[in-house]
Amino acid sequence: MATPVEMPRPGITVEECLLVRWRSRKGEAVSTGQVIAEIETDKAGFEVEAPAEGVLLETFFEEGELVPVFANICVIGQPGENYEEFRPRKDARPAPVPGERAAAPPASPHAPASPPAEAFLSPRAKRFAAEHRFHPAGVVGSGPQGRVLEEDLRRLYHSAPRVSSLADAMIHEGHVAPAEGSGVNRMVRARDLLDAPVRLSGVREIIARRMRESLAQSAQYTLHASADATGLLAVRQRFKSAGENININDLVMFCTVRALVEAPELNAELIEGRLYRHPSIHLGFACDTPKGLIVPVIRDSQNLSPAELARRIRLLTEQALSGAIGTEDISGGTFTVSNLGSLGIEWFTPILNPPQVAVLGVNAIQVKPVRKDGEIVFIEHIGLSLTLDHQVIDGAPGARFLKKLREKIENVEELVSGEL
Amino acid sequence: MYDLIVIGGGPGGYEAAAHAGRLGKKVALIEERRLGGTCLHEGCIPTKAFLKSSKLLAECRKAERYGIRLSGLGFDVGAVQERKTRIVSTLARGVESLMKRSGVTVIQGRGRIAARNAVRVNEATEQARNILIATGSRPAAPAIAGMDSPRVLDSTSILELHEVPQRLAIIGAGYIGMEFASFFAEVGTEVTVFDILPEVSAAADRDVAKRLTEAVARNGARFELSAKITRIDGSTVHYEDREGRAKTLAADYVLNATGRKPVVEDAGLDEAGVDYDAGGIRTSELGKTNVPGIWACGDVTGRMLLAHAAAREGIVAVNNMFGVKDRIRYEAIPAVIYTHPEVASAGRTEEELRRQGIEYVKSVVPMGIAGRFLIENEGGTGFVKALAGARYGNLLGVHAIGDGASEFIFGAAWMIETEMRIADVRELVFPHPTISEALKEAILQASWE
Repeated sequence: MATPVEMPRPGITVEECLLVRWRSRKGEAVSTGQVIAEIETDKAGFEVEAPAEGVLLETFFEEGELVPVFANICVIGQPGENYEEFRPRKDARPAPVPGERAAAPPASPHAPASPPAEAFLSPRAKRFAAEHRFHPAGVVGSGPQGRVLEEDLRRLYHSAPRVSSLADAMIHEGHVAPAEGSGVNRMVRARDLLDAPVRLSGVREIIARRMRESLAQSAQYTLHASADATGLLAVRQRFKSAGENININDLVMFCTVRALVEAPELNAELIEGRLYRHPSIHLGFACDTPKGLIVPVIRDSQNLSPAELARRIRLLTEQALSGAIGTEDISGGTFTVSNLGSLGIEWFTPILNPPQVAVLGVNAIQVKPVRKDGEIVFIEHIGLSLTLDHQVIDGAPGARFLKKLREKIENVEELVSGEL
Repeated sequence: MYDLIVIGGGPGGYEAAAHAGRLGKKVALIEERRLGGTCLHEGCIPTKAFLKSSKLLAECRKAERYGIRLSGLGFDVGAVQERKTRIVSTLARGVESLMKRSGVTVIQGRGRIAARNAVRVNEATEQARNILIATGSRPAAPAIAGMDSPRVLDSTSILELHEVPQRLAIIGAGYIGMEFASFFAEVGTEVTVFDILPEVSAAADRDVAKRLTEAVARNGARFELSAKITRIDGSTVHYEDREGRAKTLAADYVLNATGRKPVVEDAGLDEAGVDYDAGGIRTSELGKTNVPGIWACGDVTGRMLLAHAAAREGIVAVNNMFGVKDRIRYEAIPAVIYTHPEVASAGRTEEELRRQGIEYVKSVVPMGIAGRFLIENEGGTGFVKALAGARYGNLLGVHAIGDGASEFIFGAAWMIETEMRIADVRELVFPHPTISEALKEAILQASWE
């Protein structure tokens, strides 16, 4: 029979955990006690062990998701067994019973190994719970073996923060309430929430970790250059006239792919001391979404025409913004482009998306004085900021790539001549 | 050794003393004159007693509209003064009895801080663990030539007038100036209100201020706004009008209503090292000054200059002195102007919200939306403006003009204080028919869904 695996509660104040990493993948065999997942609370990381032997039939959450405690995260069983009954509802948070107060458990030094069962309530505690319709989960009692006494429940009941209507609405949006507020009879008010630290979202937590790892594990440096953008502007205009919606960024990404085809050493990943060069260019692009930075990936971008590339960028951007993007479309990138030019940035130092070894920053278009035939003319230029991992790419080869990219951009009209 | 010595027996001081007394502390209250302070003797209470008479007179003038025929209508200043004195005496006795009941020792004399924990009064030095400064405020005198003329009165001395002046010039269109303008205009005085600002500053809300100006003007007062007083000659005001033309106005009396200033002199603040300036003593939201053991509340802090704010500040200070967690919150302290019509407000104004970058929705309903207002106020005018946050629909401010507003504004303050949202107000039941229904309608119509 299939066995569901619950998200444990590694502390009584914990209501959800970050699913950091799956150690076992769907379809893999696991043995009892084997670590199948890594999770994190605000304070520490934990491992989830397989409670039974079998095959990991299904996982219900993605890495990086915040999972409510006690929700089923996966199912172990024999191939062919039905696991749908264990699938958590979309909103798997424990629904509060109407009229019941949410528990605000005080911080406790005794993190429980597992939540105590109902039987752990003393008779008086049971009566208190029934009378007050107060059934908090995960209480560790002060009685023998963690038995919950009436006093424990009473203290919890009265320590629950009372919040104003406004504060309540804000708490539902993710603000954290302190135990005591500044309002009448210590009621928690909006300004108390604004003073409280904000917990990072799951996506933010992942971004933070990856950024720290990126800077800690590579030797990053950034080269800045600019390319004559006259061709880009002309080509965009021509596509536009032809009814094709292509913007400057699309064209720069197209040129980047063409340059990468000729410089495979930058389309690579450095993993545990080995450099993996990729024959295919899976081009990632940084996308600013309400949840934070997401990097959709365009697979085999070397096979796409400018119009196809533009359409793919548009589709993935929409999916990323609406949160509907699939895992396969945000993983496996081999090179990344980040555009801050549309926000007027003149140059910046993009951070590598490890284990990739290069990332291109695209900057704003600006006029630049250029000497031409003995005269100074002002020509529009697009800024390019290329960050590289000096562990594997030295300055000269990096600069040569940037030169190649500039040539592609400056000759973009030729490059796309077959496409129009 | 006292647990607390309070210097100043106004609403800030005596409420604090009574509260400390009720907590079982040994408390002394030092007051130079009678207990009750500016509020009871020269402010809130006597002026409201006067205003009741002028409002009643105005009502009597339109008695026929209510189906009542009156004749021989007159205004007896002496009787009005007498009634005021009687009310003040009754309330003063009430304060004295409150002190007695609360076990507070009242010392008549002028208190002066001698050290961090000692107060000098009547040649004696009293020791105290805590000192609360509640010395209040007094009318400010602007630097205008001729302000020292005996015909120039302030908000204190004008209360002693035993005649109705034919012509009165009021300098300052703040709430004090407007209340006296409302009173004197209704009892038949030719009132001219001067202010250097282009608008009446009495009400914080611009729309309310505009309506108030119109209403008081309809009652007979004239306004000279954007006017600069150059000098006062006896009881003649020399000024430049809004076009800069030099003009004069002959009056019988001039009322200086340019504001009040904290009483910070002669209380030993410098010797004790208390941080203050001309704007008042600096206090924290717990009522603390910079000197441990020395606290301050009320007008002397220069914060709100409202009796009810002073009382609350005093109680907050006492609570914190004796280990009870408490803090003052200024966001929802209501303010009332007892003109005819009344003005009442709580919370923030549109200007404040815009300055703070808070998006809001607003609604304005006429007072007449409440049937009771039409019944009670024949020919009356007014509206209620409600401001709510655009995002959550939480009530942020209520600004009302119209008689009856002073009695329902506490409800708005309560809702703001407890951060209620429009949806919550929908669940409250207001009695029908009452003027408070205008408040409800204004809030519910500030729809945000």
